[in-house]
Amino acid sequence: MKKLDILAAVAVGLLALSASHGPTTAKDKVKVGFIGSLTGGTSANGLGGRNSADLAVRLRNADSKAKYEYEMVALDDECKPNIGVQVATKLAADREIIAAATHYCSAVAIATVDTYHKFRLPVVVWGAVLPDITYRNKYPEVHRVNGTMINQNELNASLLTKLGYKRFAVIHDTTDYGKGHFKYFGEALSKAGGTILGSFGVTSDQQDFTAELTQIKSLNPEVIYFGGLTPIGVRIRAQMDRLGLNNIVLDGTSGIKSDAYIQGLGKLAEGSLSFLEGAPAERLPGGKFFLEKYNAQNYPNPPEAYGAFAFAAMNLILDAIEAHGPDRKKVQEALNKTSKANSIVGEITFDDHGQNTVPIITAYVVQDGQWVVWEDSEYAQGKRKLPGQK
Amino acid sequence: MTGKSKTSVASILPGAVTLVLATVYLIVLLRVENQATILALLGVGIAAVVMANWLGWFASVGQSFGEREGPLGLLAVGLAVVVAGYFHGDHFVLLLLCTVLLYTLATLGLNLQFGFAGVLNFAGASFFGIGAYTAAVLNEHTSIPHLFVLLIGGGMAALIGSLLLLPVLRTRGHYAAVVTIAFALLFKTFLEVNDLLGGPQGLQVKSMVLFGWSFNNNIEIGSLELSFYFAYFIASVLLLVGAFILVRRLERSWIGLNLDALRLDETAAQCFGLNIVRWKVTAFLLGNFLIGVAGTLQGFVTGFVQPNSYTFADSLIFVSILLLGGIGNPWGVAVATIIVVIVPEKLQVIQEYRFLLFSSLVIMVLLFRPDGLLPRSVRNYFPGWRP
Amino acid sequence: MDLGLLAQYVMNGLMLGMMYALVAVGFTLFFGVLDIIKFSHGDVLTVGAFTALATFIALSALGIESSVVQLLVMLLAAIGAMAFLGAVIARAFVLPLRSAPPLNTLLITLMIGTVLREMVRLFYPDGANPKPFPRLLPADSVNLGGFNLRLDNVILLVAGALVIVCLQLVLNKTKLGLAIRAVAQDEETTKIMGVNFNRIVLVTFAIGSGLAAFAGVMNGLYYNEINFGIGLYLGVVGFSAAIIGGLGNIYGAILGGFLFAALQTIGAVSLPFASAYKDVFAFAVVIAIMAWRPTGLIPEKTSERV
Repeated sequence: MKKLDILAAVAVGLLALSASHGPTTAKDKVKVGFIGSLTGGTSANGLGGRNSADLAVRLRNADSKAKYEYEMVALDDECKPNIGVQVATKLAADREIIAAATHYCSAVAIATVDTYHKFRLPVVVWGAVLPDITYRNKYPEVHRVNGTMINQNELNASLLTKLGYKRFAVIHDTTDYGKGHFKYFGEALSKAGGTILGSFGVTSDQQDFTAELTQIKSLNPEVIYFGGLTPIGVRIRAQMDRLGLNNIVLDGTSGIKSDAYIQGLGKLAEGSLSFLEGAPAERLPGGKFFLEKYNAQNYPNPPEAYGAFAFAAMNLILDAIEAHGPDRKKVQEALNKTSKANSIVGEITFDDHGQNTVPIITAYVVQDGQWVVWEDSEYAQGKRKLPGQK
Repeated sequence: MTGKSKTSVASILPGAVTLVLATVYLIVLLRVENQATILALLGVGIAAVVMANWLGWFASVGQSFGEREGPLGLLAVGLAVVVAGYFHGDHFVLLLLCTVLLYTLATLGLNLQFGFAGVLNFAGASFFGIGAYTAAVLNEHTSIPHLFVLLIGGGMAALIGSLLLLPVLRTRGHYAAVVTIAFALLFKTFLEVNDLLGGPQGLQVKSMVLFGWSFNNNIEIGSLELSFYFAYFIASVLLLVGAFILVRRLERSWIGLNLDALRLDETAAQCFGLNIVRWKVTAFLLGNFLIGVAGTLQGFVTGFVQPNSYTFADSLIFVSILLLGGIGNPWGVAVATIIVVIVPEKLQVIQEYRFLLFSSLVIMVLLFRPDGLLPRSVRNYFPGWRP
Repeated sequence: MDLGLLAQYVMNGLMLGMMYALVAVGFTLFFGVLDIIKFSHGDVLTVGAFTALATFIALSALGIESSVVQLLVMLLAAIGAMAFLGAVIARAFVLPLRSAPPLNTLLITLMIGTVLREMVRLFYPDGANPKPFPRLLPADSVNLGGFNLRLDNVILLVAGALVIVCLQLVLNKTKLGLAIRAVAQDEETTKIMGVNFNRIVLVTFAIGSGLAAFAGVMNGLYYNEINFGIGLYLGVVGFSAAIIGGLGNIYGAILGGFLFAALQTIGAVSLPFASAYKDVFAFAVVIAIMAWRPTGLIPEKTSERV
């Protein structure tokens, strides 16, 4: 039984080791969470959001007036609902975490709201646009600083019909995100006077779209509306070229507004459209401040489309903790009451579903390898024309 | 090793001591948060195992389990409850423990198919998913008591599995493998494009209710508050124990003998008048039933089902567990599941590298220890008799 | 249906079929010489495509801009490296398991595939994201009604066909081909006749893996994008194709490849439900064919040795 003694001794030793504590700091430590897509096809947006939330935490820790020292736990949902629920459970089950800024992907955000409700973790969504996330249930834990996809689709339909386009084909991914876009765009388009000739649901990891695009070719539309994210957006635009569909406009949603879309396509990206809630970061009320601080940290990736919202979301959370202490329930109540709160994305007011109203929508078009605000582009000025524009 | 058999208390000791030590180790591992400590702890664990192996400790453990499996099994169940009791309020640890138990249960099903009857199944995760989806659908649209939902979930897995019976029976070896692989891919794509079952978005599974009591409420006994996962944990333990007994009984019965004969040489078995089709069908369906039951409870536990949780890669994880644990050995499977589920969860550094790590580990095992970490022992025809 | 559109569908199907056939032929070769399924084949394809991409980046950095030179060097690098990798896999992992149950070989190659795939994902810079693949072929096109005939598609198809014809010539007209076929037919007799068995196995694995690298580059040029998961999908499809055709027969593999592409195209176009079901349909047909013809459409001629 000699070996046994050794084993027992080792186990006891380790128990002792695990019980030891680190040094204590002057300020109390408070943990907050962040979830976004840090790997995979939409990681550019996720990393931009992560950095922006991290920036908010760093600025707060540098502020000598802050009562607590904050630590941000960043988890990766891979833009997959099942992974999202896994990491959300992990985050929410950790009682030390007081609140979190969560999700870029709508498909993930809609899947995790029940988890947050179950564990009573207050969250502020920073990038997902599906209306159902705040409106399907009335969970007091769930808030959102960015707008929903309804408004962007209204602007989308009205802009394109004004440009003279009437015949649309739709490709959307079959997640709630893609289906949501299809639904709201369809409603907006029928009001604006266009018609949808056919719609195609595709899976979000599909590689070959030639069969769908050939069918679309036979429908002879003027515009392909695409409700989905960057990775398959790139594939669809590239394969449109392969089938000679270059006289058709690729009309995207906020999901393709990323630098990765342009990098993936090069010249083919020219003339693609995208619509986004809010204004470009440099035009936001606190945009200049945000970009200056962001660049000062030398993050390896840009803040991307929703970075400013992630920054604002994390700041809201930190403000609530500063005011009411590290207590989930109190923080949640404080967030619910948010009204006319100053932030870099403008004033934030949550309605009874925790939804902020973001009235501005901005249209973008790719021009010379850049996403350019539509009104400033040579397309709007008439110097260039979109495919098939009269 | 002596040829003499000992039926005294002494023979139970090595097994019992190992179980207790493993439990203490597990509690410490689950408790520690500091990454460096965990790394050190894992190093110590591996060193201890290697050392014990070198000292010949595992031979006596194996003997102990071979002779006194009943009492040791009881002890294992008791210790599992101790672990869960220790973490009674910690949601996440209990969730992990449930996952371990249910994966073990599912792998027992695979074991029945492959370890006993030699029928390949590379679609384990699909049948697991069928159970989980059954839970989601029945729970949403019907008021069937949830105890029955568990059975129906298993039944559905067996039923849908029976669609594969014809091709699986008619094919052998590689060809049979491709049938299940094709099914795994078909199943995931089907879930993704199917609107009725929630598409890529998946479905929510409502809380399990047994005898009028909802599992999703935290349990309060006096001042003691238990995580709601505790109830699921107990349910998982009960299911696993039931399945374990069933599998062991089967193995030791003449059915197990028939299956052995079938696996080792199909042609010879046929020559001796064994009805190959009947036993293959039995093993395949029963295996899928167990996997389905595990999946159904897993659906309740996670409260959420989604196609990406049931991919071919997940099926490969099941096969890896089976292989690491030692095909045909349920105890080994339990150990392997703990390694595969808990280690990457605790050691965040390797989380990202877990697929790489486990596939490399399986390659090593296949090259250097092809019978698995804890191989199945030779059938024990006469209690106490050793060759 | 409009004739132009029909032609377009056929073209789409042919492109897919060619890629599937190239992968399927590899499976068939391996099965021929060793009676094993090498499941890492698809992931060798991925590694090949990424090798080509890395070569392209290196060439661009060196200032070599001619797309013909770039393409040739990329192909040489990818095919050479993968042929070597294939031989290494055979030497280190497959041959040592010769006496183990066939399932172990299947498993070990599945796991090697996972290792390769994960290495690309984790260690290629930013490897988890889809990578744009350079457009190196001329994109001129002729528009014939509903049919857009692209020069690069034609080049890819012809190149694929040439590769298959060359392989065919090597197998049937050279001494090496004779040895490979002999090993496939009867290993023991071949050894007695003085053929170096191990060397033939390694050469066969090198050839098959080189084919995979070619298919990987072709895939990249066609979709202008590669990601770490392409090989997994193409591997399974190629494997299914090889199985439908009947393992151990390269005509069967080619037939299977085009048949699978045809199933997908038909599934997407003329089935009454959404085009997304095309893979469900294709795999269901594979299972049905397996039930009907358990060893493929062109079965191997074997009898059970007891």
